[in-house]
Amino acid sequence: MTIVTARPGLLSHPFGERYAARIGALPGAPHAWVDGLRQSARAILGAQGLPGPKSEAWKFTSAVDLAKTPFIPANLADDIDVVDVPHNVPRIEGAVRIVTVNGIVRRDLSDAFDKIDGVSVLSLREALAAAHETLKAVIGGLASPGAYPMAAVNTAYMADGFVIQVAKNVQTTRLHLISIGAAGAEPVSFHPRSVIGVAAGGNVALVETHVGLPGHSYFSNPVTEAVVGQGGVLKRYVMVDEDADAFHGSVSAVSLAARATYEDFRLCLGGRKVRQDIVVNLEGEGGNAQIHGAYALARSDHADISTFIDHAVPCCTSAQEFKGVVAGKSHAVFQGRIRVAKDAQKTNATQSHKGLFLNPGPVIDCKPELEIFADDVQCAHGAATGEVDEGQLFYLMSRGIDPDTARGLLIAGFVEGATEKISDEPVRAAFVGAIETWLKRRLAEAVAL
Amino acid sequence: MALIEIDDLHVSVADREILKGVSLAIDAGTTHAIMGPNGTGKSTLSNVIAGREGYDVTKGSITFNGKNLFDMAADERARAGIFLAFQYPVEIPGVSTSAFLKTAINARRRAAGEPEIDAMEFLKLVKSKTKALGIPDDMIKRPLNVGFSGGEKKRAEVLQMSLLEPRFAVLDETDSGLDIDALKVVADGVNALRDKERAFLVITHYQRLLNYIVPDFVHVLSGGRIVASGGKELAAKLEAEGYAQFQSAA
Ligand SMILES: Nc1ncnc2c1ncn2[C@@H]1O[C@H](COP(=O)(O)OP(=O)(O)OP(=O)(O)O)[C@@H](O)[C@H]1O
Ligand SMILES: [Mg+2]
Repeated sequence: MTIVTARPGLLSHPFGERYAARIGALPGAPHAWVDGLRQSARAILGAQGLPGPKSEAWKFTSAVDLAKTPFIPANLADDIDVVDVPHNVPRIEGAVRIVTVNGIVRRDLSDAFDKIDGVSVLSLREALAAAHETLKAVIGGLASPGAYPMAAVNTAYMADGFVIQVAKNVQTTRLHLISIGAAGAEPVSFHPRSVIGVAAGGNVALVETHVGLPGHSYFSNPVTEAVVGQGGVLKRYVMVDEDADAFHGSVSAVSLAARATYEDFRLCLGGRKVRQDIVVNLEGEGGNAQIHGAYALARSDHADISTFIDHAVPCCTSAQEFKGVVAGKSHAVFQGRIRVAKDAQKTNATQSHKGLFLNPGPVIDCKPELEIFADDVQCAHGAATGEVDEGQLFYLMSRGIDPDTARGLLIAGFVEGATEKISDEPVRAAFVGAIETWLKRRLAEAVAL
Repeated sequence: MALIEIDDLHVSVADREILKGVSLAIDAGTTHAIMGPNGTGKSTLSNVIAGREGYDVTKGSITFNGKNLFDMAADERARAGIFLAFQYPVEIPGVSTSAFLKTAINARRRAAGEPEIDAMEFLKLVKSKTKALGIPDDMIKRPLNVGFSGGEKKRAEVLQMSLLEPRFAVLDETDSGLDIDALKVVADGVNALRDKERAFLVITHYQRLLNYIVPDFVHVLSGGRIVASGGKELAAKLEAEGYAQFQSAA
């Protein structure tokens, strides 16, 4: 296949001609508003390419191997031969399961999702065809292709996804969106696009698991934009457990009205290269953004979480706490940017990142970025990395616990402790289970080092 | 033969000699107390007995139950029956007290060739001990020592000791931070374990504790050496007169 050579200084990438040739066949193509979005994203992609080593926002996460992999666009039909959901996808109590394979909604693998009380779930295709109001109003406005390269690729080639609308004052519904990556002989890419609207006082919990079939090479590139109305609550719990050969580049961009809450928890358990951008715009007083997460990496996994919390108005709260363990030759990145506008007095913004090394091989990079233009602001941030604490280890051993078990308890306690931020108990339990499985599988080899 | 025999123990920390030849033999069935000024090496001695790393034993030996302690890692010593109630118990976020207690009890049981404790038996056992020590039930569900008050931490140490039933326990200032009622409760917890098979080494700054846990012998550790030994009346004398008389001797 042809790899487009971009202007000097830009990374060449595979998302050029072969992809562009299919733009006319993508869902929504006949609509001028959809085509306009795609064409402008393509223009940005053409001008900016993928972020190279000099890109400040991507300084710890190289897109070179992504750019060098000769991806082809995933099939648009929903006929990939996947008969079951992989076993690393947890069962979440009381959640409606909706499955996508290579980004395409698969009703045959999903629970029925047409008749959920107070929550309308459409596939992006259906919503595009119907020129869905919320979709039209929100798409492209929050996840800017100019600022977020992964949003540019997605906007140019989005083929399916979800439009989820939660009605006023609806009480918690739980949906579990499961993304399965499955390549053939050639590596594939897919670019699901979702828009979520939570009306005033609505409350919804969306669980996402991103997995792949073992040994498959794919690029999962989901972008989600969400608008939460006054006093509404959106909870998103996103587990990324991609295959060792898979790429994952996502953007989540959320706008919060007055007294709205966005709770986001990321659990990353692996992937060849995972980059998750989380953007929250606090646009109404009393807004509350709880952005937390945990990671556990081994092999040559690379996982990057980059957040941008924008306090545009006074009296909002944001909290970020990320914790993770790294083993093997893995690489973890946390970049946390907080902006407090001049008028955003009485802002309370906290951020912390703690990383634990299980052996000497891995790398952890952490970059807090605080841009504070208001003066009446509480803003605490901290970052620490280290090894298992010798004092804690001795304490456990002094009670007769052997060093491997003691170390295991401390590591599990450290990562699983992060899940205390998940307010939805069945989800928390499922995520703890996923972490325990990871630790069982990886710890023996890590501890032995 | 003594249950534990410390012979001419020299210990350095960061190239500074802290213990300068400590000898002490403790028989099964007895309780010894150590008193002494701040920074003389009482906790150093405790840590070396329990097997903490980072201490250079430059000379001397500790024999426990006929075995050379320095051949055993901290966890092996614990399973062999040594227990240290920490002066500063360590907070461990993310590890629940009950999960920890169960793991510790089972480590001990496995070493003794006994079957693991089942969930019901564990609950019953813990409940009986927490009740005796005035520990609220929900403390067990919390992460180990995290957010426990000073007194609660010390009670939790004694709870662990009661559950693990060591042959030899070192209590490093277990009385500090305890209110008067708690002091009595904790002392009762220790006294309940005292029998002819077990021995205790109680480190304290105050005679008050020794009114409740009455020692057979009292030693003064000063300048890295035991500079005086006597019966329980020595504690009263120290409380009245301080350490000055011994420091000049040291
Ligand atoms: N890890 C260490 N690094 C450097 N110095 C140390 C270390 N541990 C202990 N020391 C020093 O060794 C000496 C003895 O300390 P230790 O804690 O044993 O005293 P202590 O008798 O228990 O005092 P206290 O009554 O205050 O508890 C002190 O001077 C202390 O600063
Ligand atoms: Mg001390």
